[in-house]
Amino acid sequence: MQGASAYGDVKLSRFNPLGRILSFDDFDRGVNGWCELLGNYDGLSNLDTVAHHMKDFRPPQLSTCTFFDIGTHGPMTGSYALKLATRPVAGHTATAIKRLTMVKRGRVQLEAYFTYSAEATVPGSQAKDAGWDANTHPSERKFGCITLGSDMADPEGVRYHCVARYMNTDLEGNLEQRWRYPVVVEPTPKEILERGKELDQVADFTAPNPGDWRILDERPQPLCYNELPTKVNWHYLRWTFDTGRRANVELQLNDRVYDMMAVPVPSYAERYAALDGLLNFYLTVRTHTATRNFLWIDSALISVDW
Amino acid sequence: MRYSHTAVIERGASVDGDLATEPYEAGWAAEARWFVKVGAFDGPTVLAMQTEISPDGLVWIPLEEAVHTVSHAGMVSWSVRDFGQWLRLRLSTDEGETSPTVMVYLALKS
Repeated sequence: MQGASAYGDVKLSRFNPLGRILSFDDFDRGVNGWCELLGNYDGLSNLDTVAHHMKDFRPPQLSTCTFFDIGTHGPMTGSYALKLATRPVAGHTATAIKRLTMVKRGRVQLEAYFTYSAEATVPGSQAKDAGWDANTHPSERKFGCITLGSDMADPEGVRYHCVARYMNTDLEGNLEQRWRYPVVVEPTPKEILERGKELDQVADFTAPNPGDWRILDERPQPLCYNELPTKVNWHYLRWTFDTGRRANVELQLNDRVYDMMAVPVPSYAERYAALDGLLNFYLTVRTHTATRNFLWIDSALISVDW
Repeated sequence: MRYSHTAVIERGASVDGDLATEPYEAGWAAEARWFVKVGAFDGPTVLAMQTEISPDGLVWIPLEEAVHTVSHAGMVSWSVRDFGQWLRLRLSTDEGETSPTVMVYLALKS
């Protein structure tokens, strides 16, 4: 959608959708199907059978972006944004997943305006403020990573994921600010049941081994954290993949566009039943320290080229 | 049409002494109701539960309401109004007693 025609709908003019819009989610009107992810469980609904690392991805919230210092900040438009919040536990992940199926195969695109922050330290606490220089804020180094994930299964039963991760910090808390992608598929509940070996409760569910995350582009892309954990600036995200070719296509974050055509898409050797035409999108935020991390989505749009 | 939303705030958590749930933003909701499913536990343990509120999700005080107690498995529920923006639940058992498991739902409505 280009130029003047976009102004036919002011709410859409800030997006660049493919030809057909499947969903346009303004979180002023609820969670729009972006719900908590939970691992699979047995036929008796015994939640003890959920894989340990998939038990606690936290429920998304409708947030006004309210902080201790100024009160309500507010989202990019309207009153509410979708908020994902981790626990204050190193390695903990919060998710929101949206579940669709494929009507046809082809290009699929997720666009969103998002912002992020690490939780402010409670005033009066004993936390050290070492590192504050009245410009950068130490809390920026307490924000871990944001992941764009998907889960697809085509009619032939091939299941695969297109995934991209913005690593704000590495696991030691150093600013990395680069995109990465995994070269392995997610460990599934089926694999864990068959193997009989659980992952750690705060294992990275997308790809637990840090060595399986490859750098998409060596050149960092610093974002606008804006000096404080209580100022939130909204960033544009556009992510495209192709379910016709089971391939990555492109990723855009503000002014940087990443060609992902050559990025491999891991798929399962085993065929999965009950997932015909699966088309799931998920967003996660993962903290690398004992600090709550937040990801807010002002609005999200999913479009396709058919 | 009114908007409603149910969040599972805790899923199978064990209450061993004191447990405060994660903060949950619900400023859009005019009414809220806790549902707490309490798993099997032996007396004489008493599980006490109280709603807490916060202006910022950081500093918390109890809501002006009675403490809810239960001493057997089952489900407990009560409604909450005029809570501002954030909600969480504090659950506690006496030290050294058995640790009940809980599933905590927060049902919200505009």
